[in-house]
Amino acid sequence: MKHIEKGVSLRRAPGDFLRDLNADNASAGLVAGIFGLSAGVIHISAGTAAGLDSAFIMIWVISYLMINGLFGLFMPAYYRLPLPMANSIPGALLFAAVIPVVGLEAALGATLIAGFIALVAGLSGVMSTVMRLIPMPIVMGMIGGVLLSFGLNMVRPLENAMLPAAIMILSFFLSARLIRKVPPLFVSMAVGIGYLMFTGVDFSGIQATVRFPEFIVPEFTLAAFLAYGLPLAIILVGMETPAGVGLVKGMGYKEVPANAITAVGGLGTMISSFFNLHSTCIAAPMTGICSSPEAGERDKRWVAAVIAGAIFVVCAPFYGYVVSLIEATPGYFIAIIAGLALIRVITSSLAIAFSGRKHEMGALFAFLIAASGIQILEIGSSFWALVLGVMISLVFETKDFEFAKGKQAVA
Amino acid sequence: MSALKDISLSAIAAGFVAVLISYAGPLAIFFQAAQGAEISTSMMSSWVWAISIGAAVSGIGLSLWLKVPVITAWSAPGTALLVSLFPGLSLNEAVGAYLTAAAIILAIGVSGSFDRIIRLIPPGIAAAMMAGILFQFGVGVFTSLESSPALALGMLAAYLLFKRLFPRYFLVFLLMAGIVLAVLFEGASLQGVSWQLAEPQLIRPEWTLGATLSLAIPLALVSLTGQFLPGMAILRGAGYGTEARPILTVASLVSMPMALFGGITTVVAAITAALCTGKEAHPDPGKRYVAGVASGLFYLLGALFSGSIVLLFTSLPVTFVALLAGLALIGAISSNVAAVAAQKDHLEASIITFLATASGMSLLGLGAAFWGVVFGCIAYLVLHRRPVRQGEGPGRAEPAAIRR
Repeated sequence: MKHIEKGVSLRRAPGDFLRDLNADNASAGLVAGIFGLSAGVIHISAGTAAGLDSAFIMIWVISYLMINGLFGLFMPAYYRLPLPMANSIPGALLFAAVIPVVGLEAALGATLIAGFIALVAGLSGVMSTVMRLIPMPIVMGMIGGVLLSFGLNMVRPLENAMLPAAIMILSFFLSARLIRKVPPLFVSMAVGIGYLMFTGVDFSGIQATVRFPEFIVPEFTLAAFLAYGLPLAIILVGMETPAGVGLVKGMGYKEVPANAITAVGGLGTMISSFFNLHSTCIAAPMTGICSSPEAGERDKRWVAAVIAGAIFVVCAPFYGYVVSLIEATPGYFIAIIAGLALIRVITSSLAIAFSGRKHEMGALFAFLIAASGIQILEIGSSFWALVLGVMISLVFETKDFEFAKGKQAVA
Repeated sequence: MSALKDISLSAIAAGFVAVLISYAGPLAIFFQAAQGAEISTSMMSSWVWAISIGAAVSGIGLSLWLKVPVITAWSAPGTALLVSLFPGLSLNEAVGAYLTAAAIILAIGVSGSFDRIIRLIPPGIAAAMMAGILFQFGVGVFTSLESSPALALGMLAAYLLFKRLFPRYFLVFLLMAGIVLAVLFEGASLQGVSWQLAEPQLIRPEWTLGATLSLAIPLALVSLTGQFLPGMAILRGAGYGTEARPILTVASLVSMPMALFGGITTVVAAITAALCTGKEAHPDPGKRYVAGVASGLFYLLGALFSGSIVLLFTSLPVTFVALLAGLALIGAISSNVAAVAAQKDHLEASIITFLATASGMSLLGLGAAFWGVVFGCIAYLVLHRRPVRQGEGPGRAEPAAIRR
């Protein structure tokens, strides 16, 4: 446990929460919470696209909000840092895509192993070693390729549902430009729902339901581990944690508990696997919102993350309402909302992959392979993207690797 | 003839390799377009004849006139664009659009406003459209892994090997290795390949608004940003202070008659130009123009035997052509994606352009590349344009280039 950083205190947290609460961090926390809730739309669209049962998708999202929310209460309260916890979106997409191939129990078994790997990586402090092995541009190229189809599916409805697609997309970008405080995703969704009401879509089948996470026993298979567990472990350890830690550091916090974030995320992921959920980790976009200057005084921004976690826990049981609402809408609606929600993730992953002038070729191959969606030996393209990407980078871009730095002068 | 004493073996070799690479790589894309258009082999050979003659005449003429190694070729991103449009587009419409595109380039060339117009297009959006057009070719390499794993793995390995060992000439080696692999693994037979002279066929042009918007305008745009811009940059980088005006003018004028035989726009080469502008061609920069002339002569030879070239490509499996085209374009995809990522101030608009172009959507009968630029420009205006534009002009980065 010597690598796990010490926090402030949990016992005094409720009192300090009330003391530090202010309008700035409350509004930032609200925005982050709403953002996290809307991320469930990605799960739903990814799950629906993968042909998953809607009842399963619902308990998946409910687990996401409940479990991630509980961890999201604890982490910022203990460390007094804006560390909201959520799940990995790329992980969610992989999870949804792999379930029809390997089965739910096997996918959750792979989740359990991935969580264990993250836990060990955090406890032993090997984070930096893993980072060296798989360069970030290659991971991000893979993520960009995996996510690309969601971006393409956002554009395609313009062909046969041009009017609603155009106004939803335009309202997203106009509100991103003009109204800063309201999440553009919500504006776009409201505009889309307004259009659907106006043209008379039937919302009468919607009902409020109350559900809680359900227990399930995972199974272990090698195929599921290779196709999904290993990429997930790499995403958790090599991508989500560094992104979150980097964000918090970038906002001016000096001491960020990188190992604890990894280990707690790993433990959370292991627990998640017993409740139909694929991961628990620090959430980069929410971290950005909670740790930004808009969340007020730096020492008090942790409150925003706690609020986001509380919103998750409170809203979780009622998420079925949102699911049935979304089921009443035509297919393009979700495709566009998911694409819009992801466009910034796609953009930043491509930017990280290709703007560093390092591992460009490995990143490109990872991107193209992941985008091609090929399956070889029953193993999905995301795995091959990483393997071939790293191999090609080793051959062509040897000097870009960390381990080569000492030997070679900068060209 | 003062040109006679400038002749050198190195310059001729550089010209030869440039032409060989053009026939090995970019021609594969043209063949994919031809396969998409479902045309006869004699029509294909007319196309190859036309693009070869176009490159030959403009290359020889410009190199002799300007005493600068001007390597010309056909628009590679333009042919990539074609692949997405056929067979919805008729041959006659394509020819009409070639002529329109040539006229646009001619007008820009004569007016001398090339540099100014290039600056108007946000560089990230231009690069994103190129990346979107080329993207499918890159993905095609890996989807071939599923359909013909042996050939695909072999060519991928050959690509890595030759790219590592002979980065300059890897396309030539890849073509040869690929032919061997195709014969071994896919049972391709080269017995049908024989010496065959070209038979040019005249195609009646036809102008439609749809073809103008989805082919002519994007074609002019990708030719300007993907070929002329990097091509001119290579010439200037090699120390030739050549103006764009004569090059654009001659290339587009030559394009026009060739378009009637199915030849797509003639442009400055970007993939191969650097071979002939550097020290390898000749130590004396004043004598490197011979390489340009030589490449033109080899293009003439290619034109003469375009029938045989077509027979060679058609006797090879479709996946071979897809793999060759995709691997030839890896470098171009990479540099365009990097150019997109480098333009941080309008990243989102560029990504929208990329998504729309790569989606292959068609709307109101217009192609994805057109809509990519339209949506990207709308997003650019909505998201990134600052109301006050004083002083800070948009920083231009490296050209969005097709590079080796």
